[in-house]
Amino acid sequence: MLLSMFLTFCKIGLFSFGGGYAILAMIQQEVVTKNAWITSSEFADIVAISQMTPGPIAINAATFIGYRQGGILGSVACTLGVIFPSIILMLAITLTYIKLSKLPWFQNIFQKLRFVTLGLIAAAMILIGKTAFPDFFSIIIFVAALFVSWRWKTNPIYLLLGAAVIGMILG
Amino acid sequence: MIPLIHREVVEKNHWLDDETFLDGLAASQSCPGPIAVNFSVYIGMHLKGFWGMIVAVLGTVLPSFVFIVIIAALFTQYAQLTLVQKAFHALKPAVVALIASPLLQMTRSSQIKPAFLWVPVLVMILVAFLNISPIWIILTTIIFSVLQSLWQKNRSE
Repeated sequence: MLLSMFLTFCKIGLFSFGGGYAILAMIQQEVVTKNAWITSSEFADIVAISQMTPGPIAINAATFIGYRQGGILGSVACTLGVIFPSIILMLAITLTYIKLSKLPWFQNIFQKLRFVTLGLIAAAMILIGKTAFPDFFSIIIFVAALFVSWRWKTNPIYLLLGAAVIGMILG
Repeated sequence: MIPLIHREVVEKNHWLDDETFLDGLAASQSCPGPIAVNFSVYIGMHLKGFWGMIVAVLGTVLPSFVFIVIIAALFTQYAQLTLVQKAFHALKPAVVALIASPLLQMTRSSQIKPAFLWVPVLVMILVAFLNISPIWIILTTIIFSVLQSLWQKNRSE
């Protein structure tokens, strides 16, 4: 069990390009759809918590999912899993002094991946959105939050804390 | 976060000079995984080799790890409380909005040509509706990009 959690998050870590949001869809597929370790509603809760806490979303999600599935040992297995590939690859890059970023073919990969990243983020939005809108209240919150974060670029933590308080009072 | 690392590593502690810092930043951005972790591997290796790397990575990961474990433990215990459920009822749509907002901004700043808009749309459909793993899409993109670079190089020679 612990080993399969470690390996699943290794796989996620190895393909985590494009930042936190871009890999949420991959985590959802692996953890909710394939392995059924948590439900998609719990996954949305976990994403909310990961956004409110410091540290990279990928690591926070790994730690949280690991804990839900296997306690402290589970969270250690998942967290180590998700950072293991980066450590190995970064070690290789640092030790060989390869200036990958200066190679044209390597830059081309990232230019193309940028478009893919947009699609992956959109997919994460839809997958999380599937459980997020049970009623009209949720739609109002969505529109209000989108407006506030677009218009004033509000810090996500304050925005989420505000949403949580509104939910407790009106939800 | 990058300015924060720069202040600590370059300005305050003089562990790295600016050029080494920027090389590491570029490498960390192109390597898969969180930039903070990648960068701490780089900085740790430069300062004290393997064990420096281990210490740096632990330093980066441990605070949020402890924090999340505590929250996960509390959440497991209190998730059934009405007040908590009410909070998450509002949090979920807010999270979707928090993903939508940078998505709109990134779409604009990526200056994607309308002719290429089908790429993100196709990726979205494949992943969100047809349950295709992003892994295959990323691998396909990498292979395609490398082949394209090779082809362009061959043609220009």
